[in-house]
Amino acid sequence: MDFTSSSSSSLTFTDFLDRMRHPASIDLVRSIKSFIVSFSFHSANSENDSKRLQDFLLAMETTIKDHPLWAGASWEEIDNAIEGLEKYVMTKLFSRTFACSPEDAKSDQEISEKIFLLQHFVRPEHLDIPAVYQNESAWLIAEKELQKINAFKAPREKLLCILNCCRVINNLLLNVSISTNHVPAGADDFLPVLIYITIKASPHCFVRVILNLMQANPPQLHSNLKFIQLFRRQSKVISEAAYYLTNLISVESFINGLDANSLSMDANEFQEKMQAARLAKAAQVAPRNISTSRDPQPVHCNKEIHMGGSYYPFMEAEAGKLTVEDVHKLLSVYKDVVNKYSVLCQAVRGLPLDKEKLPVALRGDLCDSILEHPRADCNPAEQDVVEVEGTKEKEKETFVESTVSSTRHPCCSDEGQKHGFKPTRVMAKIEIATAQ
Amino acid sequence: MGCSASLPDRNTGRLGVLSSENSGVADSKNLRVKLVLLGDSGVGKSCIVLRFVRGQFDPTSKVTVGASFLSQTIALQDSTTVKFEIWDTAGQERYAALAPLYYRGAAVAVVVYDITSPDSFKKAQYWVKELQKHGSPDIIMALVGNKADLQNNREVPVQDAVEYAEKNGMFFIETSAKTADNINELFEEIAKRLPRVSSS
Repeated sequence: MDFTSSSSSSLTFTDFLDRMRHPASIDLVRSIKSFIVSFSFHSANSENDSKRLQDFLLAMETTIKDHPLWAGASWEEIDNAIEGLEKYVMTKLFSRTFACSPEDAKSDQEISEKIFLLQHFVRPEHLDIPAVYQNESAWLIAEKELQKINAFKAPREKLLCILNCCRVINNLLLNVSISTNHVPAGADDFLPVLIYITIKASPHCFVRVILNLMQANPPQLHSNLKFIQLFRRQSKVISEAAYYLTNLISVESFINGLDANSLSMDANEFQEKMQAARLAKAAQVAPRNISTSRDPQPVHCNKEIHMGGSYYPFMEAEAGKLTVEDVHKLLSVYKDVVNKYSVLCQAVRGLPLDKEKLPVALRGDLCDSILEHPRADCNPAEQDVVEVEGTKEKEKETFVESTVSSTRHPCCSDEGQKHGFKPTRVMAKIEIATAQ
Repeated sequence: MGCSASLPDRNTGRLGVLSSENSGVADSKNLRVKLVLLGDSGVGKSCIVLRFVRGQFDPTSKVTVGASFLSQTIALQDSTTVKFEIWDTAGQERYAALAPLYYRGAAVAVVVYDITSPDSFKKAQYWVKELQKHGSPDIIMALVGNKADLQNNREVPVQDAVEYAEKNGMFFIETSAKTADNINELFEEIAKRLPRVSSS
């Protein structure tokens, strides 16, 4: 099984479309069109739809093999034509076949909510992921590969997103095995990392507030997996592709059934964390309901802001009353905000949006690339600002204001540089990880 | 992950290893076989597979995939080839409920335990029962006692495993992924036991 890049896939698809424009393919075009139209004669039923698609692809494979346009064509060329056909037909039938039943929508919602709760507190240690595998930049790439799944409509491309995500994880495991002189890890190590990546890859709670406001789709893990299983050519869901697809299906199953015994965590602590996450979720409902307002309304409680399941203290604090201890808290809140901001930029960039419809706070520099500003993962010890008291109090306050209430970023500006925020670019990290 | 071997490869007597390219549709001469590995974590499931697929693990070899899925084709004396597609499963207790997703449709299940760990032998018996209940009825099962090089620490007597395997109609072998002992024999024996499709 090869992990074909999407660029070669679009080339193949263009080739398919070109052939379909050829006068000699008029009979094929007719069959394809009548096949697509025939779906409107039946009520949507994923099992039946799947059977009809699979039969059609098999029948067309035979037709294309004997077709004058493909006379003398190699096995690859015929195969490419069927891949193109699958993509064409499934793109046309997408709205009918993807997440079409209320049960699917319910399953999507359930796993999405479960992941949302887990995102609040699950750490790699809870899945016994060894520290050597905890490589944030590699994980970020794997998450991004998985997140791309919703950017595609064709089953083949959705499946490729999963395979690419797994490949990134495998490369990480392999690199670790080389550097530590161990044999490459098997499923004992692979599966926990995939579970963690899946939990992290779902849009972050903060982003979801915005996404809900814009009525964007939830992540739909369940529907994506079902869609691939039903509508990817059966002859292609074999071997390695089948293995990694099964892994993600088992991740879905694990997350759905996840309880206090599933994690390396005290059962009581698990219940408490889940409860806290539920409360945070409830707090998020408030801004979602006021959807006529352009900005999510933060919930104020005692000088703190609760939003999207996170809380931001110090909102009404005065500079003079801050203590040295507060700096640590401020820094962690700051990092949290910047991380969320990065994810938000990423998510918003992936959406076909009318800028005018964006909440005011999100306009302007928000849609600039996440890669343009450094990540807030600098060590506190490396930052001058932490060591300075008094004179910097004012600026500490500014940080909170600017990150919470607007999109200004101290570390994007020269100001940020002065304060010692190292401009470690995410891009550079990604390149290093890819080079490995 | 404690099975990296510094010993030389002993697999020179292999019948013949073909390229593991995806050969497409299997026919009567070229079987494609889904093999699932089950067993407690730490018994050396992936080490066995790596031994089989690569002989000796070579850290410089360019692999694009991980060790959790590997395939290897072997040629048998009757000029048939068998391509094993080996599915590793996570052995930790918390993932036990997921195993059916992996062994569904498998032609072969290799249940591995560690001869120095009675617990892992108990776990192997659990998997055998599970497979008997939920696996395909004609699945070929092999019971493998790994880490046979650690004779001094042996805690699972050979006799116990032989008896258990006989009672359950399984093929039994002790292997050492570390020294490569019996690794090829394991897969060759499985290949021999595969049902042959009558050629048309």
